[in-house]
Amino acid sequence: MDDQQTQDLVKELVHRLLSAAESGGGRDTGGALRFAHRLLSSRLAPAVLPDEHALAESIKRRLAASGRPDDALAFADLHSKLSVRARPASLWPLLYLLDSLSSQRRAAAAASCLPNLPSAAPPRNATSGTAPGAGGRPGSRAHGAPPGGVVLVSKDPDNIREIALREYTELVIDETEVSEAALVRDVLYACQGIDGRYVRYDKAVDAYDLPDGVRVPRSTRTLVRKLCELGWLFRKVRGFISDNISRSPSDAATEVGTVAQAFCSALQEELSDYYKLLAVLESYSLNPIPTPGSDSGVSSNYLSLRRLAVWLAEPAVRMRLMAVLVDGCRGLRGGAMAGAIHGHAQHGDPMFQEFMGRLLRRVCSPLFEMVRSWVLEGELEDVFTEFFIVGQPVKAESLWREGYLIQSDMLPAFISPVLAQRILRTGKSINFLRVCCDDSGWADAAAEAAAYVGTTTSRGGLGYGETDALEALVVEAAKRIDRHLMDVIHKRYRFKDHCLAIKRYLLLGQGDFVQYLMDVVGPELSEPANRISSFQLAGLLETAIRASNAQYDDRDILDRIKVKMMDHGDGDRGWDVFSLEYDARVPLDTVFTASVMKMYLKVFNFLWKLKRVDHSLTGVWKTMKPNCIVSSPFYKEGTSIRAQFVSVLRKCQVLFNEMNHFVTNFQYYIMFEVLEVSWARFSDEMDAAKDLDDLLLAHDKYLNSILEKALLGERSQGLLRNLFELFDIILQFRSHADRWFERIYELQLRGRGKPKTKSKDTGSWLDGGRKAMIQLAGELFRKMGEDLDSIAKDYTASLDAFITQLPMQQHVDLKFLLFRLDFTEYYSRVSSNK
Amino acid sequence: MPREIITIQVGQCGNQIGMEFWKQLCLEHGIGKDGLLEDFATQGGDRKDVFFYQADDQHFIPRSLLIDLEPRVINGIQNSEYRNLYNHENIFVAEHGGGAGNNWASGYHQGEQVVDDIMDMVDREADGSDSLEGFVLCHSIAGGTGSGMGSYLLETLNDRYSKKLVQTYSVFPNQMETSDVVVQPYNSLLTLKRLTLNADCVVVLDNTALNRIAVERLHLSNPTFAQTNSLVSTVMSASTTTLRYPGYMNNDLVGLLASLIPTPRCHFLMTGYTPLTVERQVNMIRKTTVLDVMRRLLQTKNIMVSSYARTKEASQAKYISILNIIQGEVDPTQVHESLQRIRERKLVNFIDWAPASIQVALSRKSPYVQTTHRVSGLMLANHTSIRHLFSKCLGQYEKLRKKQAFLDNYRKFPMFADNDLSEFDESREIIESLVDEYKACESPDYIKWGMEDPGEANVAAALDSKLVV
Repeated sequence: MDDQQTQDLVKELVHRLLSAAESGGGRDTGGALRFAHRLLSSRLAPAVLPDEHALAESIKRRLAASGRPDDALAFADLHSKLSVRARPASLWPLLYLLDSLSSQRRAAAAASCLPNLPSAAPPRNATSGTAPGAGGRPGSRAHGAPPGGVVLVSKDPDNIREIALREYTELVIDETEVSEAALVRDVLYACQGIDGRYVRYDKAVDAYDLPDGVRVPRSTRTLVRKLCELGWLFRKVRGFISDNISRSPSDAATEVGTVAQAFCSALQEELSDYYKLLAVLESYSLNPIPTPGSDSGVSSNYLSLRRLAVWLAEPAVRMRLMAVLVDGCRGLRGGAMAGAIHGHAQHGDPMFQEFMGRLLRRVCSPLFEMVRSWVLEGELEDVFTEFFIVGQPVKAESLWREGYLIQSDMLPAFISPVLAQRILRTGKSINFLRVCCDDSGWADAAAEAAAYVGTTTSRGGLGYGETDALEALVVEAAKRIDRHLMDVIHKRYRFKDHCLAIKRYLLLGQGDFVQYLMDVVGPELSEPANRISSFQLAGLLETAIRASNAQYDDRDILDRIKVKMMDHGDGDRGWDVFSLEYDARVPLDTVFTASVMKMYLKVFNFLWKLKRVDHSLTGVWKTMKPNCIVSSPFYKEGTSIRAQFVSVLRKCQVLFNEMNHFVTNFQYYIMFEVLEVSWARFSDEMDAAKDLDDLLLAHDKYLNSILEKALLGERSQGLLRNLFELFDIILQFRSHADRWFERIYELQLRGRGKPKTKSKDTGSWLDGGRKAMIQLAGELFRKMGEDLDSIAKDYTASLDAFITQLPMQQHVDLKFLLFRLDFTEYYSRVSSNK
Repeated sequence: MPREIITIQVGQCGNQIGMEFWKQLCLEHGIGKDGLLEDFATQGGDRKDVFFYQADDQHFIPRSLLIDLEPRVINGIQNSEYRNLYNHENIFVAEHGGGAGNNWASGYHQGEQVVDDIMDMVDREADGSDSLEGFVLCHSIAGGTGSGMGSYLLETLNDRYSKKLVQTYSVFPNQMETSDVVVQPYNSLLTLKRLTLNADCVVVLDNTALNRIAVERLHLSNPTFAQTNSLVSTVMSASTTTLRYPGYMNNDLVGLLASLIPTPRCHFLMTGYTPLTVERQVNMIRKTTVLDVMRRLLQTKNIMVSSYARTKEASQAKYISILNIIQGEVDPTQVHESLQRIRERKLVNFIDWAPASIQVALSRKSPYVQTTHRVSGLMLANHTSIRHLFSKCLGQYEKLRKKQAFLDNYRKFPMFADNDLSEFDESREIIESLVDEYKACESPDYIKWGMEDPGEANVAAALDSKLVV
């Protein structure tokens, strides 16, 4: 508003208008003038495109529409005249002003704009009303207003706006040391991780920033910082990639796994898209940024910081994601890395999902390849220890149990633990077949499985997202390979036969063999343990095999039965250390491991002891068998000695009967309830077992049930101790009985020695020695009676303890044992009588 | 080193049932009539060497002695398809071929005279065994040879092989029909004495009961000897299955008997078998479970010893021991259930003076013998009611003795020369005390029986009166 002339004119106008309206109101003049100035200097522009033609047309149409076609014609005529004379740029504002004034009047809102101004006078007509906006009084000098004034009014805003813009630009340039174009370029550099002229990476704050020294508006600075986040993210991603890939080859071999490599290459591919975008942007940035005032027609492909912000929004999201992944994967490898990436893939955003899917397909392909070669070939192609299965160097016998393990931290979440277990087992089966069974038939099974599942099994054909296909492959391979393994175990290595052999020889199922063995090694085993030669025992074992039906057994099985002498201490007898063992050999030693054999040994020792007790009891019976004792001459002796004899004999028989009852029924229990029942169950499970794990489990169950039920478990130790006490008493009884009856028969013989004429003369001992003999016999019977009483007392006490403890064993079903021991409720009666 | 068992079959009846027994064993082991193993007999698991041995030419030869004083039965065997089965050196027929005339004393006396020949055979067989378990004697107690000569052999074996077991399968005469052997009660009594004193175990095969079973159970109107003998052979072979098919337990005779015979004198066993069939006779096919079999075995009608007890006595009769040998496909768990059921129903009455139970031995069945039933069972039981059989024998003896009938035949022989009939008296005494001991076993006080008072009979009487109260 430096134009003095204009100011004067405005002043005059105001004065006129105000004085015309209210003569004495001079006090308002200043305010009105100021108001006018403000109006005029305002840069407010209507939100309409400055299209002169369109406006003129619309006015004409409105006039025509309102039933004044001649007015419309007149307007057209005037307009054409005016456009010839006036500058085209100034014509539109004029028209616009007129139009808005007329529409304002039509809306009868005359006093809206300027309260101090009189309500707008209705223009006389369209032609004369060209400048009613000045608020001329009707029929006044408004008509005489110089047309230049009108021109001025309409021309002025244009100038002002231009001026204002220029002013603004200058102001901006004033505040800014750096041009926006330069900043855009710098930001683009920063986005590629390069320091620009101004925008540099600041280590201290770990970000790209404009140095404080550079003077730019605050908003620009913020915007630049925001945009440069992308650069920071990029730096991180690129750093990760270069960390992993561009190391020296030897480093890479040891440190970086194939999964990481795949991950990096996928990232790099993503980055190459990003580079392309940046290249395009860079080319755009060469276009000059139009200054706000300049015309818009120059080029639309320029880049301002704001435009850049829009361009970079999406890449930033992506880059941020990559950076998050990179952070998440740092320090991880292999399956764990895939798992970590998979963790981020669970996202609702389709863009995310698609991106992650692409990435994971790449990342997982080495992993899936490992799975494939593991389940089909049994190969652990895992130089970088990335796979979730790790192999350990172990001996063949523990290959199955300990050779391969699942690293749960390496197991990505998209492979379920069940599937992982199955994968583990399948490859393990192959390796087991290869190493332990020396079998190559698995390859056919694997090929068959591969063929069945189809093309997806070709190398590298499996990818992330196809877990179903993977599962199908694994399931099929597992099914076939397990079946093959079971075949090999059952048919070639005759698992069941060996189990049966163990049952027959170690669990004493082959009764005749056990009997002969006991017969032949018995005398040996009564010697002190350290005087026994195990070579000799091995010979005796062979004798027992030959003498029994064992001889018809397979030589291969018989060769595996060995005598084993356990460690012995002082005072141990052969009985304490003798046992049999079964050499299972590879691959069956996977089932019959050393610890399993130890358990079998425990069972053997127990059963062997039981048999020994049984054997000795039968021995007692044999020494006093009917035709030896029924016709004993003592029956024919005098009352007292006869009664004594009958008494001790009866005691002995009754005690024998009770012991025999116990031992026999205990054996029945062991046979029916323990061994046979467990075996029947095991046999069923063995047939049902689909893989080696099932088989191992079934066998463990079998052995444990035997141990538990045979009172060899941890929890029945008290009972077992009691049982062994009973056994000891029985063995003691046996050795006593041997002595007694030897003596009795000796005395009998002595009495019978002289007169050979038997039975005819009942008093056949009527010679000198008879009296002495009777005396000796009397003494023997008395002593025998005492011994019997004390043994019987011990036995009854122990048996009582045993029987009362039986029902208290919660963990194992001993009802049958109790039921058998007390079938006639003899013991219940005895204890209730007490 | 099998626990060999040597079978000695004496007399007409002994050789007949013996022959049936061997036929059955041959069938079960797949051994042909000439002793050669049949082609199909490839399945192992059986132990043939307990009862057979192999000759140099692979023939299986029974460890068996065939002894008779008259040639009829043995000639029959030697003319039969089985003529090549036996070792001809083991056949003894008296040169005179006149038999023993149903006279115990004659049999005994002749036995005494030929004992050296026979013991030569026995020794030879015994030497041919690695670890001889014992002898099995097949005979009848009623005739002359089986009872008399059998008795003599029992005494000899007891003396010579005192460490070996002696088991007998003794056929008791049919008491229901009048026998052609009038002196049967004498013979029985005299043999019973040897069975009591010189045998370790006597399996009583009561012809009366066998006939009854043939008539009632098998619906044969007039059972032949062959038919009853096949029942006997079934029992004999079944009672030896655990020896021939080794398993966990009961693999030797001594173990079997030790549990069955707790008191030495009471060693007379009853048998029962189910389901019963006779050769060529198609029996109804029944459902056979372990419980069915065990339950049926406890029924008197299936027991092969007649029960002469009166009702009151019968109710007091008690089992001293029971062993059930179950053959066939048996689920071991069924045994427990069956035993439980039997105890719940109180189907068995056991002795009170000691613990007892039904023992069950599971044994395999011969794969070569086809049967229509899945499970079959044999019961060996030591039951006190057997005393009534002995009482019956005693009663018949008394009747005859009172009349002093037929004693002349006996006086001809050294043992009874000079009218010395003390052997009869002694035998009677022994059988009486046997009966008393069985009776005492029915009482809970058996443990003290026979000690306080010198007179056993008195004690028994006292016990009896106590029981009545």
